[in-house]
Amino acid sequence: MKIVACIKYSLTLSELKVDPATRELRLATTPQRVGTIDRNVLEAAVVLKPEGSTVHGLTLAPAGAREAFREAIAMGLDDLTIVDSTNWAAGGPMATAAVLAAAIQKMGDVDLVVCGEASDDGVTYQVPPRLAERLGWPLLAYARNIALAGATLTADRDLDIGMQSVACDLPLVLTVTQETNTPRRPTLMDAVKAKKKPVVVWQPEADLGLSAEALQAAGGVTRIAQEGIVIARKEQLFQGDDMKALANQLLDALLAEHVVAE
Amino acid sequence: MAKLLVYSEEAGVARELLAKARQVAGTQGFTEVGVVALGAAAAATAAIWGEWGADVVYTVAEPALDVYNPETYTAALAGVIEQVQPVVVLVGATKRGLEVNGRVAERLGAGAVSWCDDFSYDAASQSVTAKCLVYTGIGNNTYRINVLPALAAVPPGVFHEQAFAGHSAAVIAVPVAIPAARMRVLANSVKADTGRRLQDAPVIVDVGQGMRNREDLAMAEELAGLLNGQVACSRPISSERDWFPEWLGLSGLKLSPDLCITLGVSGSIQHTIGIRESKLIVAVNSDENAGIFAQADYGIHADLYQFVPALIEAIKTRSVTKK
Repeated sequence: MKIVACIKYSLTLSELKVDPATRELRLATTPQRVGTIDRNVLEAAVVLKPEGSTVHGLTLAPAGAREAFREAIAMGLDDLTIVDSTNWAAGGPMATAAVLAAAIQKMGDVDLVVCGEASDDGVTYQVPPRLAERLGWPLLAYARNIALAGATLTADRDLDIGMQSVACDLPLVLTVTQETNTPRRPTLMDAVKAKKKPVVVWQPEADLGLSAEALQAAGGVTRIAQEGIVIARKEQLFQGDDMKALANQLLDALLAEHVVAE
Repeated sequence: MAKLLVYSEEAGVARELLAKARQVAGTQGFTEVGVVALGAAAAATAAIWGEWGADVVYTVAEPALDVYNPETYTAALAGVIEQVQPVVVLVGATKRGLEVNGRVAERLGAGAVSWCDDFSYDAASQSVTAKCLVYTGIGNNTYRINVLPALAAVPPGVFHEQAFAGHSAAVIAVPVAIPAARMRVLANSVKADTGRRLQDAPVIVDVGQGMRNREDLAMAEELAGLLNGQVACSRPISSERDWFPEWLGLSGLKLSPDLCITLGVSGSIQHTIGIRESKLIVAVNSDENAGIFAQADYGIHADLYQFVPALIEAIKTRSVTKK
């Protein structure tokens, strides 16, 4: 059995700052890393892997970022394929899904694709359903309590209103959430072994036969403006050891704001 | 003929989207505001959508659609869109709405955006402009969508439902073949409805992971009760600990109370997007460097287990109330 784990070299959003004067998003200085949700993806893929199976990492990322995937590989990947985005001009979930689908088809004989419910940074929730549609496979999204018996996967889908228990035959696209599992921490030995695992780099045009221009046009979505959201708060900090005094300080402030009455 | 279509499997969210659609229909030149009702049960009560602003209710009265399955719902919604040919489709961005939205967009080759909170249609250029939250709400992107229909996933709570007394809707049955789903639904367990309307509470006490035990919720409840408020929580408190059915944040509810008091909330943007429209935010956290302090009006650097009882005492002593 062949499992593909789709992971993303993502912006670390807790470090993303907004320029208070220009409201520009300081994307260029925001550090990137393999996303936190991707650790849940890798854990799910590695845990599900039956005897004699392989787990392959797949990402659309700049080839220059390959070192950032060392820990992901150490979590249990047999190899990693990077579709190089360095000169790839197409953006957005539609183009990303097209790249991933083409790579999965090129890999061949894939039974199961695991993705995060949404990436750490884009968070559009569009790539997994689009990928499933491109592959013509069912999408089993927001999975918890995942079990694989033969070629049938069962899971509880964590929907807003409750859990939906489902069963689905492979092949399929599975998405996981931050609640699905607790990702393992690779050991030093895993890290050493990971250095020997193959990393393949494909070019979207040359190796997958895709056209950024055509995908961009077909996607039909163009960004025309961007601004950061600045919400000014008073940021007044009360501290001290006397809880009664702190409580009264806070109540005085709330009364002065007229949000409560005495 | 520029039609706008609304779809959400959650009736409350569909009402919110319909209200917005009805409000902008005249100015943006929509000739028809439609809503999709899927399943035999929904079709039977389709006429109720008139007073929520719909001109037309498009029904697919297949009994198979009485149970939600993303595959059958994708087929149904894609089929309705193909036949109705709207220029804009507003989809409620619940987890179910999002999985259907992406798949329908891919199937139809439609332009799609997520976390949309405003939009406009321009008949002259045959394009839709959509303003969307990006990076979990740190910024806004404005997109031009020129492959129509434009599918816009709108988070619950962005727009507000409105009754349009006397407005009535035509009901049109759309013939759509629903193929058997490959993913089989074995069971649905629905979270107990607490009957709480957090949206209407003037004060929210927002509990995070700094609260250690479920029994400790009693002090949050007491604090909320004294101020005519309700207790809400962050995602892990709901999804991992299961203390409440709903949570606040990007993937959950977004509230705008007069006062929000966070207890042991660290302040990730994914969570604070659910409370940042509050008029005033108070944060209680024992970690001086907690990110929540930069997003609060008043920060209390203290152990919530010591501070909250003192605050409750002070509120009682001074007879502080919230009308």
